Amino acid sequence: MIITNTEEVTGKKIVKCLGVVSGSTVRAKHVGRDIMAGLKNIVGGELRGYTELLTEARDEAMERMQSQATQLGANAVVNVRFSTSSVAAGASEIYIYGTAVVIE
Amino acid sequence: MEYQPGLPEHNDNISHKHPLMEFALLLGGLSVVAFVVYLLLGLAVDLVAEHISPEQELQWFKRNSVDVIASSMLDHGGEAKRIDSALFQGLKQCLDVDYPLQLWLVKSEKVNALAVPGDDVFVYQGLVDAVQSENGLAFVLAHEIAHFQQRDHLKGIGRGLILASLMAVVGMGDAAALANPAAALSQAQYSQSRESSADAKALQALACHYGHVGGATELFDALLKQEGKFAEFGHYFATHPKTQARIEQIHTWAQSRGYGFKETNPLSTFDGI
Amino acid sequence: MIELGIFLTLFCLGFFVGSYAEKQHYKSIVEREQKFMHLVTTSSKRPVGDIGAVRKTHLVRGNAVISVDYFKRIIAGLRAIVGGNVSSYETLLDRSRREAILRLKESCPSASQIINLRIETSSVFKGAKDQTGSVEILAYGTAIYAEK
Repeated sequence: MIITNTEEVTGKKIVKCLGVVSGSTVRAKHVGRDIMAGLKNIVGGELRGYTELLTEARDEAMERMQSQATQLGANAVVNVRFSTSSVAAGASEIYIYGTAVVIE
Repeated sequence: MEYQPGLPEHNDNISHKHPLMEFALLLGGLSVVAFVVYLLLGLAVDLVAEHISPEQELQWFKRNSVDVIASSMLDHGGEAKRIDSALFQGLKQCLDVDYPLQLWLVKSEKVNALAVPGDDVFVYQGLVDAVQSENGLAFVLAHEIAHFQQRDHLKGIGRGLILASLMAVVGMGDAAALANPAAALSQAQYSQSRESSADAKALQALACHYGHVGGATELFDALLKQEGKFAEFGHYFATHPKTQARIEQIHTWAQSRGYGFKETNPLSTFDGI
Repeated sequence: MIELGIFLTLFCLGFFVGSYAEKQHYKSIVEREQKFMHLVTTSSKRPVGDIGAVRKTHLVRGNAVISVDYFKRIIAGLRAIVGGNVSSYETLLDRSRREAILRLKESCPSASQIINLRIETSSVFKGAKDQTGSVEILAYGTAIYAEK
């Protein structure tokens, strides 16, 4: 499946528009990671645990969006946007949405 | 380009597991982990506590100005002094406790006695008034000495610390509503078993000092009269076993070891400061 | 003891009332989604197909603040300890998103198309101990009305 954040897939013609599809997930790291992150906050630097958390969460949300698009019969999702928010302490929510289309 | 609307048949954005199932799994798993961690750390604390010598203990828990709330039994003269120098020392000998312990009288109506880290045993005026005879008081004193011998006062502090740190991890946010009672329950169950063991030692000391165990249940009898029929369910969370059960246990022990209940020695009243 | 009692009451209340409310909400969402399915919606900046002359365009939006029940909050609290998918919050977000988009559509039922749809999420209420139980979703886009 082609996924882009542009209006259309370069070099291909969109034949059908199937509406907006989305994928979301909420994830938390275990308490040990939270504590380590808290300590890391003192010296700064990359919080690997959280980087990993958000990467995993995006992968999963992306899969869920693709699954929705497949169910509608799409073969591409254009104009994809990411949004991230924290819903609860230590948990992150990823939301991905775009327009499901059929390209030739 | 045409528009062909549709709705996904299956919602992948939500989990389709039953929430109660997830709750049971999470709660079960976490409880097992917390229980094992508490058990292991608890045993470690017990081990450390056994190896803290009385001298070390006194150094760490140096008491500061206890005099504000309590007065030494020795300073009272008369009956109080006799209790301290004869009875208290005698019971210590019976329990093989050879390090110095200080006996304090707290001017309070509460019926209570405490073994505090350092070298202090506190007896409340209310307790002295509640027991009828010297033997009754002796049982309580022996019970507190037994706590020192078993290092329960130190173990209690150590376990308290462990629970507090476990709670800091597990009890964050709303999960605290679950963690608090669980912590109280585990603390209570442990404490009850230590109390029971101290009772057994106190009974033994009583038999050693007087040759019989008359008056051993005096305090509990008095407490039972006070309690009435309250606290039937709440005792699972209490630090001490149920009073009725303690009395029965003492009778069972006395019977199996052949201790008799004979005439008790009278106790003339004495007051705090 | 009392604490435990309060907890159990809230827990059961949260579970039964919460699940019932959620079921009802989903039912209504599905119904209304069916109803508005034919209103063209896209996240693209350009309209779908050729719609000819445009009579009117204006900004439309819809928002919803939805809270999670006590039962799910407890599960999320436990989940935060071990890590992983916080599935009890997923329905919360799914519901609020779909609700916000539906409200956006309901605000312009006669539009030909809604283009450039964007969705924003924010946690609006931080409760005791920084625990968030509710989120606000804002959906916004441009409604265009064809000439004919």
